[in-house]
Amino acid sequence: MATAEVLTNGNSTLCDWHDRYYHVDQILDRPGPRTDPSFMAGDGVKEFLRNQCKILVIGAGGLGCEILANLALSGFKDIHVIDMDTIDISNLNRQFLFRPKDVGQPKAIVAAEYIMKRVPGVKVSPYYGKIQDKDDAYYMQFNLVICGLDSVEARRWINATLVNLVDPENPESLKPLIDGGTEGFKGQARVILPTVSSCYECSLDMLNKPTAFPICTIANTPRLPEHCIEWASVLEWPRVQGDKKMDTDDPEHINWLYTVASARAKEFKIEGVTWSLTQGVVKNIIPAIASTNAIIAASCCNEAFKIATSSAAYLNNYFMLIGTDGVYSYTFEHEKRDDCPVCGGESLDISVPRTWTVERLIEMLVEKQDIQIKKPSLSTASSQIYFQAPPQLEEATRPNLEKQVFDLVPDGGEITVTASTLPFSLFLRITYS
Amino acid sequence: MAPGESQDIEVVTTAIHAQPDNKTRRYDRQLRLWAATGQHALETSRILVLSSSATSTSIMKNLVLPGIGHFTLLDPTITTARDAGNNFFLAGPDSIGKHRAQEAVPLLGELNDGVEGTADVRSVHDVLESDPAYFKSFSLVISHNLDSPTVEKLSRLLWTDPLSPPLIVVRSAGFLADFYIQFHEHDIIESHTETAPSLRIDKPFPSLLGHALSLELANMDITDHGHIPYVVILVRVLEDWKRSHNGLPPQNYAEKQAFKAALRDLKRKPDEENFDEAEAQAYRAWTTTGVPSDVAQLFTLPAASGNSTPNSTFHTLLHALQKFTELDDPPHVLPLSSTLPDMKADTSSYVHLQTLYKTRADEERAIFFDLLDKNADIDEGVVETFVKNAHAIRVLRGRRWGEFDADKEAIASAVVGYPRESASHFALSALSNLTSGSTAPPTADALLAEVQRIVGPGIELPEKELTDAIGELARAPTSDLPNVAAFLGGLVAQEAIKIITKQYVPINGYCVVDLVDTWTGVVGTPA
Repeated sequence: MATAEVLTNGNSTLCDWHDRYYHVDQILDRPGPRTDPSFMAGDGVKEFLRNQCKILVIGAGGLGCEILANLALSGFKDIHVIDMDTIDISNLNRQFLFRPKDVGQPKAIVAAEYIMKRVPGVKVSPYYGKIQDKDDAYYMQFNLVICGLDSVEARRWINATLVNLVDPENPESLKPLIDGGTEGFKGQARVILPTVSSCYECSLDMLNKPTAFPICTIANTPRLPEHCIEWASVLEWPRVQGDKKMDTDDPEHINWLYTVASARAKEFKIEGVTWSLTQGVVKNIIPAIASTNAIIAASCCNEAFKIATSSAAYLNNYFMLIGTDGVYSYTFEHEKRDDCPVCGGESLDISVPRTWTVERLIEMLVEKQDIQIKKPSLSTASSQIYFQAPPQLEEATRPNLEKQVFDLVPDGGEITVTASTLPFSLFLRITYS
Repeated sequence: MAPGESQDIEVVTTAIHAQPDNKTRRYDRQLRLWAATGQHALETSRILVLSSSATSTSIMKNLVLPGIGHFTLLDPTITTARDAGNNFFLAGPDSIGKHRAQEAVPLLGELNDGVEGTADVRSVHDVLESDPAYFKSFSLVISHNLDSPTVEKLSRLLWTDPLSPPLIVVRSAGFLADFYIQFHEHDIIESHTETAPSLRIDKPFPSLLGHALSLELANMDITDHGHIPYVVILVRVLEDWKRSHNGLPPQNYAEKQAFKAALRDLKRKPDEENFDEAEAQAYRAWTTTGVPSDVAQLFTLPAASGNSTPNSTFHTLLHALQKFTELDDPPHVLPLSSTLPDMKADTSSYVHLQTLYKTRADEERAIFFDLLDKNADIDEGVVETFVKNAHAIRVLRGRRWGEFDADKEAIASAVVGYPRESASHFALSALSNLTSGSTAPPTADALLAEVQRIVGPGIELPEKELTDAIGELARAPTSDLPNVAAFLGGLVAQEAIKIITKQYVPINGYCVVDLVDTWTGVVGTPA
């Protein structure tokens, strides 16, 4: 990753030509009617933006490419970017820093090089890997974090990490998090001040529930082409292929699923199984276009610019846009949740029937829209209820699955829920109905 | 052996051929939104952009990427140091002193090999004088921060001939912006709105009714009973109900509750989910299927402004649709949709029901086809798409750019209904008027006076909103901010795609953007 150093030597302002920031400086040289009085127009704010502010971009995909370009043109000069993906041909309809020759290369590295080539004096430091590889000290170095991710899990991780980073004694430890997301003609951008305003976890119940087909429908009464595809991928693949891992990026694997699903559909006289639908169902493909990404990325960067410069009030705290029928948008304040497992501090009240087993409780937690935990492990202050891992512990606690929760936890007692994918614990206060 | 392994050679070969080619793979994520028909429309479109500012190139980036056919940047400007600082599609300081359009075209073009781009360094004023027909060779014209007299001239030129391309006028300064799409009429068959077509449970077609009545509910195999699709249950129970209620569906709350109780009484086991579903969908039994009012009002649309109908195919289809709804059989309804939602059922009863709907839909499409003007040579695929989307078709009637600013009545109602949108819009109109032909940026006072001149006496604009808008424009009157350019680039490209593909629904009016408080709104929609 030595490339980051190639174009910048010493003071990056050396690259600035007269009038380079003519457009941006109109905003930074004087306040507007709605600008907070604390705004210090002029050289001070420019110096901070261009020579001191350090910003992290998570994701170098559809939103990330746009975010990097906007930040660079706005005057941010020390930009870091993390992405674990490589470039696929289906990215090229929107991820505009990539060309056909780049397919297979790491997104973060190609994007960083392109920005540095196009916008002189900007340093973009790429990291090709996971956000989870980095520790608190790494995240502590930034003034701001912008996320352009397509994964709920990664968002929850960075959100919880930045909330945990907040030290009330140290104002620098509060890193504003700006998060964007898109789907088709729709998208949203939001500003999260960890511990101060509503966080990502607070709004988990706003996510659309993923389409899930009951196994009995898939196995016995298929009606839709999707049911046939699920049959191929969920039931037939493991049965026929054994331990071989399905790779949804491998056309041979999609081909196999498509062929199997087509045969199933033919048998049941169901129409509509296509290659495209097969791929869409098994990869859970979300439609994505350049224009929507441009809107949402611009909104994120505009908030970053306003926060970094105080030139205008920043978004409080949620902007959503729907472009399918006219241009509809809604700006509102999403409320912080007192029982948010990440930033709320209070435990979540859960009422369950006395007859419920531990297994049933786990099933409920997995389905609950405002929790969304895939493989939860449960314990109380004094005992282990059920652990998913390591294997010895799983085996030792497995008999508890069939026991009633009532026999393990008293009324009003607390259960701690953890999951390997989440960097926080969830506290449930159990009452019995 | 798994079915996948026991395929005959024909099926396996078909599967391999179904693997998408590189172009389909490249466009996969957008084809899921507008399909091959939308993509074809994009690929045959020709777009003209007046200026190659940061906003203009941002718009074009989002149109080159999805694969329009051709674009021209018409711009005589020589790149300045200012341009080199805020425009991603210029080569930084290397572009300074060169033609801005010529510098931008190759950098936009490299985003997509399939798109043809041209730089034209004539000025729009000259072309308007010497070659007005030039503009009509494009399918869409987009301008950014073009001075008011020129926009006025261009919009009139394109308005006079209804076959001219739509015009998108974009204006921005600092954190504020607005844009407008000028079109006479925009017809949409595939609006992709979420309203579902009627299943006609209240007016079952003969084969559906016959099927529902043929079921021996009481003597049926218990497993089959738990798999009857709710549509069939409702048709059957409604028919039984009507026989004992003078041929009428449930009329009031008590009757509706009694109807639901009748559904519950038919349950032979407590866990028959299909009957639960029927109860949840029971409202369909007393919802009268007719012609939705949004569609019905299209039958009585006054003639479009201008001399000719811009889209005669659509109107021929619309006329046939009107005649279809006047028939007694099918009973004053839109053609049946063959799309059946998923419901609790086993495969054979669901597929059987699906076949009933599909067969009937085919029959009604044939009836529709007979009603079509035989002189109009309309592609069968278009007819099929139209019939399938008949419940969601849309017609937008537009006005010429600028007419709103001269319509006192419309302004008076807009300032009440949309105060912040109106304030920003008129502030931008004032800025545009005052910067045309002048070099010194206007003061806030001058902007205020110009706003008052535009709206005229007797109309009070909201003070706070107007001060906020004018103050921001006076702060940054000539600033094309990178983030605002990118935001507009996305928003305008979305609208351009909707206009070109004739899918989804574009705005009709001025879309106003304020990125201080991060909101968008629409004002000036024609009454």
